[in-house]
Amino acid sequence: MGKWTRRAFIATGGLAGVGLIVGVAGVMHVKSAIKKYSGEGMGEGASLNAWVRIAPDNTITMAVPRAEMGQGVYTSLPMLLAEELEVDMNQIEIIHPQPESPYVNTFLLDPNPRRAYASYSVMATVAAFMPVVGTGGSTSVKDLYDHLREMGATAREALKAAAAEKWGVAVEDCYAESAHIINKKTKEKLTYGSLAEAASKIELDFNPPLKAQKDFKLLGKRIQRLDIPEKVTGTAEFGIDARPEGMLIAAIRHASVVGGTVNGITNEEEVLKMRGVKKVVMLEDGIGAAVVADNTWRAKNAALALDLDETGNTLENVSSSDISKMLNDIVSDDSKMIATPEAHGDVSAALGGDAKVIEASYTVPYLSQCTMEPLNCTLVINDDKCEVWVGHQGGSLVRDAVNAVTGIAKDNIKVNIKFLGGGFGRKAELDYVKKAAMVAKQMPGTPIQLIFTREEDMKNGMYRPAVASTFKGTIGADGMIDAWDNRMALQSVGYSSMMRILPAMAAPPKDDPQSAEGAIELPYSRNNVNVQFGEMDLPAMQVGNWRSVGASQNGFFTESFMDELAHLAGQDPYEFRKKHIEKSDLPDAPRFLAVLNKVADMASWSTPLPEGKYRGISLLKSFGSIVGQVAEITKTGDKQISIDKVYCVIDCGRIVNPDTVEAQMQSGIVYGLSAALYGEITMDNGEIVQQNFPQYEMVRMNTSPTVAVHIMEVDEYPGGVGEPATPPAAPALTNAIFAATGERVRSLPLNKLGYSFV
Amino acid sequence: MELKINGEIRNVDVEDNMPLLWVLRDELNMTGTKYGCGVSSCGACTVHIDGVATRTCTLPASLAVGKEIKTIEGIAAGGQLSAIQKAWIEHQVPQCGYCQSGQIMAAEALLDSNPNPTDEDIDKSMNNICRCGTYQRVRSAIHTAAKWRAEETTLQG
Ligand code: FES
Ligand code: FES
Repeated sequence: MGKWTRRAFIATGGLAGVGLIVGVAGVMHVKSAIKKYSGEGMGEGASLNAWVRIAPDNTITMAVPRAEMGQGVYTSLPMLLAEELEVDMNQIEIIHPQPESPYVNTFLLDPNPRRAYASYSVMATVAAFMPVVGTGGSTSVKDLYDHLREMGATAREALKAAAAEKWGVAVEDCYAESAHIINKKTKEKLTYGSLAEAASKIELDFNPPLKAQKDFKLLGKRIQRLDIPEKVTGTAEFGIDARPEGMLIAAIRHASVVGGTVNGITNEEEVLKMRGVKKVVMLEDGIGAAVVADNTWRAKNAALALDLDETGNTLENVSSSDISKMLNDIVSDDSKMIATPEAHGDVSAALGGDAKVIEASYTVPYLSQCTMEPLNCTLVINDDKCEVWVGHQGGSLVRDAVNAVTGIAKDNIKVNIKFLGGGFGRKAELDYVKKAAMVAKQMPGTPIQLIFTREEDMKNGMYRPAVASTFKGTIGADGMIDAWDNRMALQSVGYSSMMRILPAMAAPPKDDPQSAEGAIELPYSRNNVNVQFGEMDLPAMQVGNWRSVGASQNGFFTESFMDELAHLAGQDPYEFRKKHIEKSDLPDAPRFLAVLNKVADMASWSTPLPEGKYRGISLLKSFGSIVGQVAEITKTGDKQISIDKVYCVIDCGRIVNPDTVEAQMQSGIVYGLSAALYGEITMDNGEIVQQNFPQYEMVRMNTSPTVAVHIMEVDEYPGGVGEPATPPAAPALTNAIFAATGERVRSLPLNKLGYSFV
Repeated sequence: MELKINGEIRNVDVEDNMPLLWVLRDELNMTGTKYGCGVSSCGACTVHIDGVATRTCTLPASLAVGKEIKTIEGIAAGGQLSAIQKAWIEHQVPQCGYCQSGQIMAAEALLDSNPNPTDEDIDKSMNNICRCGTYQRVRSAIHTAAKWRAEETTLQG
């Protein structure tokens, strides 16, 4: 059973564990039921609150309840705590705690940062009670920027109070530095470790002050990531690296039609004879079959050898061309529009006037998140207890899903969140966790690692939806946009994914804010605006969160159409955007303008490029941050392009770790470009055509641009950084392609239009 | 079959055609080498076979018999990080980190055969997928490591 023994689990794993439930000091206004935590995995020492435990040897253990999937959260969240706690980054140990209430991500349900010293809103309280402990929507820092600093400050003040008492001096005569409390007068020093026990019993009756920005030692500085050393030696443990003793591998097979039913296996006897095969398992409700073996390769070969008795479903006769037609039918039919997320002025009148109407129809395909680490989940069931090892974006969701499949009490389910080899929204889904539980349930006592091969992963996705988006626009006599009419047809990601993850919270498609993200609240002044969308009803084709969600397509649509209008108006695309922002009454229009100007300046926009080189510009706000990009390309041949450079400017408000922000800009751009160049999931009579990387190519070293990043210094509450760089990447590139070739790219991916990249 | 991995002889009882990747990961629990595609496309499973960067998800283990196999676990010799590993930290290359064992193995082989690669050399030989898009930092880190390795050689020479 690996490192965890049954006895240890009973003692520390569940909330029912005796004597280990600790109250949260400092959070005075929050109900005690949502202050409980077990302290599981926090090691030796005394807990000052749910987030910090200090051992006698001065080891500072911090709980980081968000998934590390590359975005640097195992460093940025400890930085927030450490800044106020006054400890150095090299004094910190981090653990991933159990998904308990203090670690809730309230921002996912109520996008207002909670404060440690104020009572929670109704939605935040609901989130804490469930609790919802999850990572996504670029919310980790937005959710915890104040809260964690307050938790660090609370712990620091308690340590100071403990030291003051020990020395018999006033608290004011003590200060904190590098995990020590220092006596101002005598210069005596006490380690946090020697004070933690006493400090843990102190309840503060005041709200400790937070540092002013000018006094920050860590925040805003380039801090080396805590998870990188183990990621260069191969010792970092991802979900797929879990190796509990006696573990077997289960390779899964799904029906060939997406969401089809597996009724049975016709050659079970034969497959059971294959070397290493231990069991052939049917999953509940015909959702698949799996072969359990002692080695992944043997399991995978045996799974491939299974002869499945399958039946299809409504998708059986559906191909991508049918889906395109359905989307076009919706987008061109007024009566099919279900929501109008933005409207002002009178668009019909404006379009009916004398001005030339420019129309454009855009489409994008389904996309796979395609995390580098294929989906997998390891799980063992022992009597009425269960332990899970998994790379997943939501620890509480994992526990709830295992509870639903196995009936094991939530308190008896221990969830070990491992490093994620990429998340991108796919690892917020529960399909792979539930399927692992279904297999493990049939083999109690044996740890099972359920794995999707790359092919099964790609074919059984929760894809970014295929979308059609049409525009009509006019330019007034003043050279400004007069009419802006935008209609979209898609499947609601919010509805589809919430029905799977948290059905009680699923809003109907018409109320899904993500559908119009990036299509509304644009920074451009326009007299008449109408934005609507309609829903394509195709539930068997499941759609899900894909890095930057709705903005991933809408950014491409709106920023391309802005370019079209600039061209129609005979104006420079940068100047055209600038003029429209200057006239905008959006509260953060000045921030947009600053980003736009900065990126134009970085790219020397007003200086012509050498022959053969071209550029395109884009600007979009998503997840609370504004990103502007200029892509610089060389036309190396007929329809052959080299993407040389991308200039990227972000305004994400206050900065936690600038190196991480920069890395996320580089990462988000490459992710967006991979989709723009090659990304496409298509369907042929219900079956997914793409199965592995050769058919779902990505930007690689030779096609990857150099990205130059500038981070604006803006003293505002932080925005997200994991996603906002992705949406502007495609339009910056395709606007550059327009400049280079005169061809307006209205559908992706580019390789399908005959482009190649060097 | 008998395999020599990171200087150690390891005996495994497997089919001749079992890919080396699964011998490493599942028979020997050496999980630093990763599975990404199984079709020699992504490079996550890269190790050195007699010094040559090789994708092991399609390489029958029997073909590695009698050869020197080096995995990511064998790179930090005697607990000392290699110049490349240090450069990876210096440039803060990894994000999710899943592809990085393969990237590092490919980079080690590149610098072993070409101590001072140009950008074009890097484009040609570094063909591993990184879904997190760390390419730019991989490139910078290779240049830095090349410099550090040259300095080390000068010092030793
Ligand atoms: S796993 Fe071997 S190349 Fe992808
Ligand atoms: S660092 Fe995530 S795939 Fe390369």
